[in-house]
Amino acid sequence: MIAARGLGGFAVVFMALAALAVWREDLGLPMFYLVLASTALFWVAQATSWNVLSGYSGYFSFGQGAFVGVGAYTTAVLGGRHGVDFYLTVPVAAVFSAVLALIVGGLAFRLRSFRGEIFALLTLAVPFILAAFARVNSEIDGGQGVVVPVPEFPEWMGQFQDFLYLLNLLVAVVAVAAAFAIQHTRFGWALASIRDAEDVAEGLGVATFRYKMLAIAVTGLIGGAAGSLFALQIGFVTVESVFGLTIPLFVIVMSVLGGRTHWFGPVLGAVVIVLIQDRLSASGFEGWNLIVLGAILAVLVVVAPDGLQARLWRRPWPAVAALVLVTGVLAVVDAWGTPLDWFVSGVLAAVAVVLWPGHAPASAERRPPAPDHVDLGEIGESTGHSGQQLPENSKINGEPGEVLVECREVSRYFGGVRALDGVSLQLRAGELVGLVGPNGSGKTTLVNLVSGALRPTSGTMAVAGRDIVGLAPHRIAHVGVSRTHQIPKPFESMTVRDNVAMAIMFGRQPRPLTAAREEAEQCLDIVHLGHLAGARPAEINLHERQLLEMARAIATKPKVLLLDEALAGLNPAEIDAAVAVVRRIHASGITIVIVEHLLRVVNQLATRVVVLNRGRLLADGDPRTVMSDPDVIRAYLGRHAHARGS
Amino acid sequence: MTTLQAALSGALVGGMFAVMAAGLSLTWGMLRVINLAHFGLILVGAYLTFELATSWGIDPILTIVLTVPLMFLVGAGLQWAFDRLGVEEFASLLVSFGLLIIVMQTVSNVWSADFQRMPGDVNPYATQSVSLGRFVFPAPTLIAFVFAVVIVVTADQVLRRTFAGRALRAFAEDRAVASAFGIDHRRLGMVLAGLSAASAAVAGMLFALGNAVTPSTPFEWIGVVFAVVILGGIGQVGGVLLAGVLVGTLSAVVSATWSPALSPLVLFSAIILALLFRPYGLLTVRGAR
Repeated sequence: MIAARGLGGFAVVFMALAALAVWREDLGLPMFYLVLASTALFWVAQATSWNVLSGYSGYFSFGQGAFVGVGAYTTAVLGGRHGVDFYLTVPVAAVFSAVLALIVGGLAFRLRSFRGEIFALLTLAVPFILAAFARVNSEIDGGQGVVVPVPEFPEWMGQFQDFLYLLNLLVAVVAVAAAFAIQHTRFGWALASIRDAEDVAEGLGVATFRYKMLAIAVTGLIGGAAGSLFALQIGFVTVESVFGLTIPLFVIVMSVLGGRTHWFGPVLGAVVIVLIQDRLSASGFEGWNLIVLGAILAVLVVVAPDGLQARLWRRPWPAVAALVLVTGVLAVVDAWGTPLDWFVSGVLAAVAVVLWPGHAPASAERRPPAPDHVDLGEIGESTGHSGQQLPENSKINGEPGEVLVECREVSRYFGGVRALDGVSLQLRAGELVGLVGPNGSGKTTLVNLVSGALRPTSGTMAVAGRDIVGLAPHRIAHVGVSRTHQIPKPFESMTVRDNVAMAIMFGRQPRPLTAAREEAEQCLDIVHLGHLAGARPAEINLHERQLLEMARAIATKPKVLLLDEALAGLNPAEIDAAVAVVRRIHASGITIVIVEHLLRVVNQLATRVVVLNRGRLLADGDPRTVMSDPDVIRAYLGRHAHARGS
Repeated sequence: MTTLQAALSGALVGGMFAVMAAGLSLTWGMLRVINLAHFGLILVGAYLTFELATSWGIDPILTIVLTVPLMFLVGAGLQWAFDRLGVEEFASLLVSFGLLIIVMQTVSNVWSADFQRMPGDVNPYATQSVSLGRFVFPAPTLIAFVFAVVIVVTADQVLRRTFAGRALRAFAEDRAVASAFGIDHRRLGMVLAGLSAASAAVAGMLFALGNAVTPSTPFEWIGVVFAVVILGGIGQVGGVLLAGVLVGTLSAVVSATWSPALSPLVLFSAIILALLFRPYGLLTVRGAR
């Protein structure tokens, strides 16, 4: 809905801006302005293209030049050497560039442990390879450069510059509309979750690899189409003009300046940078152009890494006032410069106002906690809290049912260390299993294996009868496994409510955003976080973050919930509150495995206890029997403890 | 025969890459600063050597007596600023990208965008060569290799054996614990960044010795040098020398057997493969956790 209304808006903007070119002479608009606008539109498209991958998903790329280059060379070679119609070459260029993007993504995103820095450096290398390839291959360039023929265009468009402007406008509007649409759909939410905490997103059911590939393909498509126009604009394509670092520098500076998490950021950044660049060149400071750009980048990353857009949205009026005031005063005084100079001065003043320190992000106000949200008296009672229940699944509540998780001879080695060594284990529906053992006994490794974060070195594992070895974590989440992390990793850019809504949108029974938000409230109520739904994760304490982890985990509608030390670092009252929450989740029909060091808690909660020691299964049974097992006591308290104790 | 000669020459050229990469690798590994501006410092180092040798008639190798202390101060100052402003990892990559662009443009404004090469009368090394048996090596690459060995071995020993070196490694391992044990990471960080910048001055001199420079030369280094850093294992100086030699050899052999223009293509493809299959360095065995 938002998307549909917004896209209508883009159509209107397109018509209005297109009218400028068509009726340019009637409007008395000097050609110079149109050329400037054309340049700005080209960069709007490029920065937006870059931002879909690098801004939304956080994978910074230095390889924008590669997409521009492939687009430009496709048009130049097909048009200039093979006489292919220009209009045909644009989509071909976009597709070629997208294919390149998919190759790069397919290589780079394969590895799960691929860190952002390495991706950035990899993309840095891609344009160099392409440049070398183009130089060697005389079919493409051969070190000569390629002339781009000017295509025929309808007479009503006017001159070549008008034509180019209209083309740039079309590509830019399509690009920005695409970025807008992406931001307001599941796609955008998936990318934002990847940016915030990729592993967590994957574990909650987001197909991170697929979304990253989609994002890089969109980046390639737009970058290639715009690159095709770039070829037309420069008229003569050389390796140096496209595969250098100027294009990545520009798009990075523009997006960082404008803001990377919003579709409007790159638009804003591109317009401001193009204006500054133009005025610098016009004032005879060409040699300073790049110095100013570099300085803007260096200073911004330190001073305002969030960029203009977010700050402007929060307090637009001072900036608008500065723009109007400075431009107005300069126009009235009329002592210096041209109208464009006045306007650019106004823009710079507005930018300064927006970036002024003290204008920093104000944290959303924290709502006071609901009264009595921690009722110590309710410990031990697992049901009956006023309507804050998950839909109950009474069939499996209580006595154990069918086998839900089955591990057979599962081992996992790290180098020479046997973190898990031949563990066989069955979990039945409806159980609440306490997984205990000394530090380094393999508890977290087991959780990581069942959730798919790690693959076993050997052995088989099945969940609900389905083999899960080798499945991607998001697939396993869809089979019905969900987990919490020892150190909570919320999506920092989203509210508490949206953290949970994310899990519902991508969980086992996906819902659209609005429905997911409503359901999220229910999940938050179950863990008693309803009063913090509008807060940001940075504003809540450790206890609340751990409860948020649980809310997010149950939001995926799991069959099995793995709680990895969900109570670590809490004080006694918080522990009791969390225990009550775990009971309530269990009562709703979810099978739970709780990794915990506090035996008091395990005794209180678990229907069954599994003890690991040095990667092996030491004991398995009902809590009372297991806890009095001499082997278990020895593992916990040392070799002689049992003898002395008895 | 020619291939073998090319391989050996390439290995020596790899020494220069190692000198360029050593400082970068150390600041990345130890201080978590990915300093693209390092390439700017190498560029300035090369131009200073050119300027001092051409205008003042100083022996090009001896110019490092002046450039090394100067660069040390620049590097330490930069690290002071990074530390003060909390610029690390990703932010450092962006900030230093901005700084690199500033340096390159400034160099271009000062010395023009043309190629600059020290004339033969001030740079006797450029034309000399040393023959060992059937093989002939240009003096600049031999000198570069000697410097590489000296720098890498010294850095490696300092990191292994001195208190400061151990303190740095402890700091890279776990900052909070290292600080709790009384390691003054600020001062150590500045010294390390200073030394890294000093090595950039040496690298600049070595490059100017055998090549002509233009302000856009850093673009030719970035890919290769980062490959050397990553292949060597981030933060491991010893690996840098090995990786440098490997990369240099591969590049030279491809140039000799096929075509010089193909060399970046093969090289970067190899680098991408290495990145994909050994992202933690050729020598690194990922330890148990």
